[in-house]
Amino acid sequence: MGDILLDVIDLKIHFFTDEGVVKAVDGVDLAIERGKTLCLVGESGCGKSVTCRAFLRLIANPGRLVSGEMHFRSSTNGTIDLAQLDPKGSAIRDIRGKEIAMIFQEPMTSLSLMHTVGDQIMESVLLHENVLKPEARDRAIEMLQRVGIPKPDRLVDEYPFRLSGGMRQRAMIAMALSCNPTMLIADEPTTALDVTTQAQILDLMLDLQRQDNMTLMFITHDLGVVAEIADDVAVMYLGRIVERASVDTIFNAPQHPYTQALLRSIPKIAMQRDELDPIKGMVPSPYRRPSGCTFHPRCSRRIEACNRIVPSVTELAPGHTVRCLLYENIQETEALQHG
Amino acid sequence: MWRYIARRFAYMLFTVWVISLISFILIQLPPGDFATKMVSQMLSGGAREVPPEVEAQLRAQYGLDQPVYVQYATWIGKIIFEGDFGYSFTYKRDAIELIFERLPMTFTISLFSVLFIWVVALPTGIYSAVNKYSLSDYLFTFVGFIGLAVPNFLLALILMFLSYKFSGQALIGLFSPEFADAPWSLAKVLDMLKHLWIPVIIVGMAGTASLIRTMRANLLDELNKPYVETARAKGLSELRLLWKYPVRHALNPFISTVGWTLPTLVGGEVIVSIVLNLPTSGPIILESLMQQDMYLSAGFILVLSTLTVVGTFVSDLLLAWLDPRIRLQ
Ligand SMILES: Nc1ncnc2c1ncn2[C@@H]1O[C@H](COP(=O)(O)OP(=O)(O)OP(=O)(O)O)[C@@H](O)[C@H]1O
Ligand SMILES: [Mg+2]
Repeated sequence: MGDILLDVIDLKIHFFTDEGVVKAVDGVDLAIERGKTLCLVGESGCGKSVTCRAFLRLIANPGRLVSGEMHFRSSTNGTIDLAQLDPKGSAIRDIRGKEIAMIFQEPMTSLSLMHTVGDQIMESVLLHENVLKPEARDRAIEMLQRVGIPKPDRLVDEYPFRLSGGMRQRAMIAMALSCNPTMLIADEPTTALDVTTQAQILDLMLDLQRQDNMTLMFITHDLGVVAEIADDVAVMYLGRIVERASVDTIFNAPQHPYTQALLRSIPKIAMQRDELDPIKGMVPSPYRRPSGCTFHPRCSRRIEACNRIVPSVTELAPGHTVRCLLYENIQETEALQHG
Repeated sequence: MWRYIARRFAYMLFTVWVISLISFILIQLPPGDFATKMVSQMLSGGAREVPPEVEAQLRAQYGLDQPVYVQYATWIGKIIFEGDFGYSFTYKRDAIELIFERLPMTFTISLFSVLFIWVVALPTGIYSAVNKYSLSDYLFTFVGFIGLAVPNFLLALILMFLSYKFSGQALIGLFSPEFADAPWSLAKVLDMLKHLWIPVIIVGMAGTASLIRTMRANLLDELNKPYVETARAKGLSELRLLWKYPVRHALNPFISTVGWTLPTLVGGEVIVSIVLNLPTSGPIILESLMQQDMYLSAGFILVLSTLTVVGTFVSDLLLAWLDPRIRLQ
């Protein structure tokens, strides 16, 4: 693989609730390549949001980063292991919003309704760059213009509750991009919008990403969106990345049984093959995750060892990895895990 | 915005009118009136019998023989057009004089109590919410519940005892004897401030305790809102983010209730003022109600309620100024 911007190794984030421990992220390995779009897909509750919030150390109690490394190539400070930073310290705050920016799912509630759009955009700029208010304001207007908001010089003084959902999400994007971040994380930024607006926002994000050669990590469970924007795809199931490959490989030659099942369950693709086929079984309770490979109770290709052995990462081809016992030397893994 | 203000203003006038009506009627409700009260006082004072003509004459003298609505109309008309609140039968003085004597003291205590409540409760509530389930959170909760549970008069007695024990003089009343009848001067104001803290703490105690709880709950709600995470993801420090976003949002419910603190404070003040012998409105209202001194009690109630309603109007304006959602609708 080319130039890795963020290298995540064996990331574990557990929530220590009164009812028990939720292993929301349980050994995620993920390398994010500079300048590319990586889509993270998976069913609701599999840990996508928790994973990407962990990059910015935004996990709040009762969640804890239990173990793992996150090596980030900072543009100013060399390589930093984000996992070692104090979540309230200034080192991570310098990265937030400046090097890694984030857009959230709910444009309606992710902006403060009591502060103007301009105020909230300028805040980032004033925080991370050595500029004065008038300059920050000009930047805010320029950003609003870039994200396609009409009359940006008027809208800058407007309050978010007077804007439509699409406009708010554009304002969120303007805010996230206001300090030219190296990487943008978008956590289902279009889910709350109608289809037309959704398409516009996607186009906008892709445009901006290409113009700035920005690295984009895009979270979604809409495989149609994935097909449209992704360079690479990571498929997540119950706290682990089960398959990771280029978008072509994922759609044309998926190897993990879960990826295969996921593709069969989409109406558009399945219809052509005449075999719509939802994934069997229920998503297990977060408190009682299955042993071994967490997907084994629902897997149509399971073998005897699946409930005992946690699959390790197997590289099938350059840039194509999978976590499934079907593709690995079971004796070797077993010896490693029990030896 | 202007329509909002105009509407609030109209509500305010209407409410004041309704209150004047209700307070006047309520005061008429108990059996008997001031004349009967005077007659029974004469009887217990040694008179063997009071002829009915005397009672009727008393009644006519004070206009008590007229129908209620005539009495009301005369009363409210005089207030509006002449600023005349009627006559206090018991004190044999104009009601307005008594009101103006007592009200400023009540106001001073209320004002300082509100300040005390806010200054103590807001930071404590914020701290408790941010450090939820910490040792200090539990401690504040505990102290808060004690503050709610201890009756005001008990607290008054305790503080009086403590002040006597440590300063050698009982801080009863609002002024030291040498200042009680002296004209206003800087020294008198300082002397008052020296006495003021006891009633302020007592009157403000329950309010402080409940405001800590409400602020904590409001802020806990806000802390989990997505806009807080957005602000954090920008790189803002925890303290700046806290003050700019969630605290600002959590304050709204209070601002709209500031106006209503006055009556609860006056209510809480009555007993404290009696125990501490303070020249405020509470005791005199209580007394006028017991003596059926109707113009005095109606006057007090009307003025206090009007102030409350005006206070509410002011907090509505404040809210509109602070919250763009109201200002721009
Ligand atoms: N504050 C929390 N306390 C306890 N468990 C939590 C908390 N936040 C997340 N979790 C758990 O972490 C798991 C992963 O949650 P996450 O939000 O990352 O899912 P997701 O993949 O983003 O789902 P969606 O597609 O619905 O957004 C869930 O099982 C959830 O129960
Ligand atoms: Mg999510």
